Amino acid sequence: MSERSPRQGRDAGVDEILEGRREPGPVARKLPGPVAWFDIRGRSTGHLAFSLNRITGLGLVFYLYLHLLVLSTLLRGEGSWNGFLEIATTPLFLGFDVLLVFGLLVHGLNGTRLALVGSGFVPNRQKALFWSFMIFGAIVLVYTAIHVFGSEG
Amino acid sequence: MATGPAIATGSPRSRSWRWTAITGVSLLALVTIHMVAHHFVVDEIGGLRTYQHVLDYISTPIIFVIEGGFLVVVTIHAMLGLRSVLFDFGLSERRRRLVERALVVLGVATVAYGFALIGILASRA
Repeated sequence: MSERSPRQGRDAGVDEILEGRREPGPVARKLPGPVAWFDIRGRSTGHLAFSLNRITGLGLVFYLYLHLLVLSTLLRGEGSWNGFLEIATTPLFLGFDVLLVFGLLVHGLNGTRLALVGSGFVPNRQKALFWSFMIFGAIVLVYTAIHVFGSEG
Repeated sequence: MATGPAIATGSPRSRSWRWTAITGVSLLALVTIHMVAHHFVVDEIGGLRTYQHVLDYISTPIIFVIEGGFLVVVTIHAMLGLRSVLFDFGLSERRRRLVERALVVLGVATVAYGFALIGILASRA
C-alpha cells in the first residue's frame, strides 16, 4: 500500500485531516479526530463537504431517535398526539422542520456526490458537483420553507 | 478538488462504504416518499396528520411495507455512519469489534421497536 492511500477501514476525509495535522502553520491541528471536522480554516472544499456530511449525519441520527420518541406519543392515544401537534405547529418547531430538511438535503446531496465519485462516475468534477448540488439544495430548501411557513396562515 | 479521489471518497472496495452508498441511494427515494406523503399532501399546519389520519395512513398495506423498509434501511445507514464516526477516534481492533457488536444490538433494537410501534398503530385503525 502506498503512503498516500487511505488505510483499510478508514473513511473519506480522515486521511486528509490527519495529513493536515502534520502540516506546520497557525491552525491548531492536534485535536482528536472528530473535533477536527469543525476546523475548516484554510481547508479544501473536500474537507468542508466531509465535515458537513459528518455533522448533518450525526444530527439526523439524533433526529431518528427523537422521531421514534415523538411517534410513541401516538401509543398514548389521541389526546397525547393532539398535545404534541399544538407544540409542533408553533413557528419555532416549524423552524426545526426547515432545519431538518436542511440536514437531509446537505447529507443526501453530498452523499449522492460521494457515491457518484466513489463509484467512478465524474471523478474529476467533485468541486463543481458539490456546489451544483448545494445550489439545488438551497432552492429546494427555500421552496420547503415557504411551504412549511405558508401552511401556517 | 485539492485532494485525490481516494482520499476524498474513501475506498470503494470497502464493504461498509459500499453498503453505506447502497442504503444511501435507497434512502433518497424512501425519504422523498416519506416527506412528501407526510408533509406535502396534507392540508394541516406544517403538513402534520391528525391522530386518525396517522392510523389510516399506516394501516394501508403498501404504506406499511414502504415505512417498514424505510425503517430498516435508515437504521442500517445510521449504524454504518455511527461506526465511521466512532472509528475516527482511532480505536484499537478490540474496541472496533466491541463498537460493531454494540451497533448491531442498537440497530436490531431500533428496528424491533419501530416495527412494534407501527404494528400497534396499524392494528388500531
